[in-house]
Amino acid sequence: MAATFYLAPAPVVRRVRGYFAPVNRGMATPVLFDPAEMGRFSLDSPPAPWVSLGWIRNFARKAASKTAPILTGIPAAVLEQTRETLDAQVSFQFLSWTKLTMALATGSQHMNLLVPAAGSAPQADGGVAAPAVVIQSGASATLLPLASADAAQFSAGQVVSVDVDYTGQTGFVGSPVSGAYVKTALTDVDYARRVTFNVATVASVSTSAPAGLTLAGALPGGIPATGMKVQALAGFVDREGGSFFQEWSALFVMEGAQGERIFFHYPRLQSMGSAAEAVSPLAGKQSGTLERVMLAGDFRALPVTDPLDGERVVCYRSYLPAS
Amino acid sequence: MQDAKDSFYMALRTRLVAINPARTILLRSALRPGILVEEAEAPFAQLPTDVFVLRWLGLGVDQDLPSSMVAAECEVLYSTLGTQSFGGLDRGRALSEMDEELVGMLTPFWTPKFNYATQPATQMLTKVFWDEPVFGPLTALRDRLSRTARVVVYSYEEGSELAG
Repeated sequence: MAATFYLAPAPVVRRVRGYFAPVNRGMATPVLFDPAEMGRFSLDSPPAPWVSLGWIRNFARKAASKTAPILTGIPAAVLEQTRETLDAQVSFQFLSWTKLTMALATGSQHMNLLVPAAGSAPQADGGVAAPAVVIQSGASATLLPLASADAAQFSAGQVVSVDVDYTGQTGFVGSPVSGAYVKTALTDVDYARRVTFNVATVASVSTSAPAGLTLAGALPGGIPATGMKVQALAGFVDREGGSFFQEWSALFVMEGAQGERIFFHYPRLQSMGSAAEAVSPLAGKQSGTLERVMLAGDFRALPVTDPLDGERVVCYRSYLPAS
Repeated sequence: MQDAKDSFYMALRTRLVAINPARTILLRSALRPGILVEEAEAPFAQLPTDVFVLRWLGLGVDQDLPSSMVAAECEVLYSTLGTQSFGGLDRGRALSEMDEELVGMLTPFWTPKFNYATQPATQMLTKVFWDEPVFGPLTALRDRLSRTARVVVYSYEEGSELAG
């Protein structure tokens, strides 16, 4: 029987999917993606620790590296080329507003707006918070056992922040993702819960035994560590300015109509621009006034050293033919 | 999209009752607020006067979103002959009144989405919202003055709707 084959034309794609994974800032360790081993993953359920960012739009990448010729002879002729600078940039727009997409699309620190205590003085990024409550034993990534009186303070649909009390530590703060870098010790006991990415939405509240919160999704940090507390959020806030840069490992996937896949893997991506929004009118037959507000993200790729041969690189582009 | 269409109609109907409770229609032996959905009634040889008729037209789906967004275009038709007591001479005034009532019914530009297939209706997680209306020109056919207004109604498809 004759073998059949297929000469693949250029892939036809509809959209780009984006996934991010936290860089261990303290250890300066990015997350690496092996397309040969993991490239056929379900786009709706990426392998841990990659987190789907939902849909993104207007994905554009720009190589900013510069090369220069090395000349020799009379008249001078190019003997070889050398790479003078290594730089790359990526930009796109998020179609969701979540804790993660807001954080990625701001050039600075991103914080949780803790529900304030009664009578607390107004602050631009949230005043003195209502006291955090202790998580009882037996917690899981989706279940937070609480005392009945504590559980009664929460309601379904609320977003909650789960982390330890801040006790004056400096350096990178927040688990499982570093949300801030503290240069000098602070006095706010809730600071870790203000900056943590360990947030989730409450699906239901039980005030009778066993009392506690059932979460709609697993906490990014998994099972809460001993000593972690929970606080309700009113929303999120970021500031323009500051000295903290978000840094994440990023993976972008284009899936072709024949099942082929193109991957763009940036091991280290730092947000580059300030918080910015893009608006696009809702499509319709009429020229209406409704506009969709999207988070605009601009990122700079930082180099890693490829252990294969010690070369410094900023992005891996992979192609998996249709199978 | 049916939940969004139902919710849009019910919101306008409720608002009309508050704005002008006297605008009613006797339909199938029942006295109802003066607004109806054309596709949910028996065919009309001629649309009734002094009543708002909702006619659903175009449909668009944006699937490149975390939740699919559906946009349906609704045409609102209304006409009047004026009143007998004025011999129809007040038909322009009556149409202006209906213009103002429609603007009032469409404000605010959103309403909670309900599933009216259940008894009682159950509130869903999202809201139905719409753009500002685009009014067509006034048309006169003998003693009947008519106008149409078009509004695009948007809603996000929820999981329960996708499951059918």
